Amino acid sequence: MAESERFSGKLIHPRVVGVAAALLIAPVATDLIYTETLRYEWNNFSIWLLTAGLILAAVAGLAFLADMTRRRVPAIAWDRFGGFTLAALLSLLNAFIHSRDAYTAVVPDGVALSVVAAVILVYLGWRGWSLRAVSRSGPTGATKFPSHSPEVHS
Amino acid sequence: MNTKLLRAQCAVAALILLSGCDDKAADPSTQYGANPTLPAPQQYILPPMRIALAKGWGTDQAPSVSGGLAIKAFATGFMHPRQVYTLPNGDVLVIESNGPKAAVYRPKDFIEGKVKGLSGSAAPAGNRIILLRDTTGRGVADQRSVLIDHLNSPFGVALVGNDLYVAATDALLKFPYSPGQTHIDAQGEKVADLPAGAINHHWTKSLVASPDGTKLYVGVGSNSNITENGMAVEEGRAAIWEIDRATGMKRIYASGLRNPAGLAFEPTTGKLWSVVNERDEIGPDLVPDYLTSVKEGAFYGWPYSYFGSHIDVRAQPQRPDLVAMAIPPDYALSSHVAPLGLAFTQSSSLPAQYRNGVFIGEHGSWDRSPLNGYKVVYVPFNDGRPSGPPQDVVTGFLTSDGKAMGRPVGVALDRTGAVLIADDVGNTVWRVSSAN
Repeated sequence: MAESERFSGKLIHPRVVGVAAALLIAPVATDLIYTETLRYEWNNFSIWLLTAGLILAAVAGLAFLADMTRRRVPAIAWDRFGGFTLAALLSLLNAFIHSRDAYTAVVPDGVALSVVAAVILVYLGWRGWSLRAVSRSGPTGATKFPSHSPEVHS
Repeated sequence: MNTKLLRAQCAVAALILLSGCDDKAADPSTQYGANPTLPAPQQYILPPMRIALAKGWGTDQAPSVSGGLAIKAFATGFMHPRQVYTLPNGDVLVIESNGPKAAVYRPKDFIEGKVKGLSGSAAPAGNRIILLRDTTGRGVADQRSVLIDHLNSPFGVALVGNDLYVAATDALLKFPYSPGQTHIDAQGEKVADLPAGAINHHWTKSLVASPDGTKLYVGVGSNSNITENGMAVEEGRAAIWEIDRATGMKRIYASGLRNPAGLAFEPTTGKLWSVVNERDEIGPDLVPDYLTSVKEGAFYGWPYSYFGSHIDVRAQPQRPDLVAMAIPPDYALSSHVAPLGLAFTQSSSLPAQYRNGVFIGEHGSWDRSPLNGYKVVYVPFNDGRPSGPPQDVVTGFLTSDGKAMGRPVGVALDRTGAVLIADDVGNTVWRVSSAN
């Protein structure tokens, strides 16, 4: 388990980021099934997953702000922040693409964006869902937030 | 932050923001007649929503008419009037109607419904037929009654003998009618079920009787823009049905017509014509709505192609076999004008230049800038075929800042040969007559 996650106790945002990411990764599957079957329902599944994922991404943003204002984030992992934001923006673009009618909602732009967003999210998520920067010797502020606080497995 | 990442973010954000301004609409006159200019299809990022906000008419305001014509309100104060129909004794029927509550299958359905609602499309409707009578002959209705109440989104009406047919959204009904009657208590007898169901996207059912009165023709619109609700729900739709009056037998007379919202017989040739609303969201100039004679057994392309063999990639799997059969319509009216009613003018009392052709009510565009339609045009005919570009006859439904005071729908000639126009935003029936 990565350090960023081991010391993410008391942080709210990683729990929400993880769920939002799961919803924004899922359209890869529904888009591929649509591409294979051409059944319109699978495009509708994709657009609802994207919509729900984007709403939760916005909530995750608020949760991150809350964590910042509660002084739980001494330093921000800017690369991860940028990566998650890019994935959210691509998913927003993808939601608009998926609002086209019938085939071109998915093929080729929609499914391509779904794959790109999913790759970014899986790559970032491999190291957990926290945006708190972690120093090489240990998490910044680790003494402030002792490690006996409950761990979050997002 | 990583500058590459930042750049990527800016690019995506800019793409979304800019996509709202990507239409460059052509002059509609490039899309009149048999050979409209058809640009390459485009795919939108943001769905195109360019509505005219519904405003209604102020006191003493009225649409404008071209030279030699006069206009005044025949009657006002309706609840979403969509069609007008003149009975043999001169009484005028006004069909107040609106569609059933639209199903929401996607977030877009919800948002689009809300936006279109601002253009007046969700206004409460009577869902009934009003009878108007002008007893003084001054061109103003002075008597009004509810002829038939509690109908399920009615649209087309046709009288054959003493049978008054009403095309409700889910069934063709027959009511007994005798001349002079102002109210019908009898229950409608069902002649045929019509496609409705949970989605019922294009809900209007247009109706016309053949000149000999033996057949009824019903225009049934598609259940989607372009099959986004699947093909199963398109059974029997995007087609004109023929129903035998005596036996109730029905068959598909012509198909591939996305939304044949108006039907009429051309009087000199006795041929069936229709105004058809074509597909949206592949550009401000695609696909032109059209006026066409309807050939028996013909396929007009929807959803697989338009204007003959122009493929629409959105309809999958494709059907090259059907595209090969698809015939182009006769006469393009330009894109997104939304023709919803037509009336041939051979018995018109308007000046001579309006006596051999067809009036078409263009409800107006919702997905194009600048707006297109929002007027009544006249298409001249010669030997039973269109013979020139459409001419503006009734305009001025929009304010200078692009709000809609009214939107024309159905058109009909009254007993004197003047033109009646149902206006479903202005809630008025207008009457256009010769100026002198």
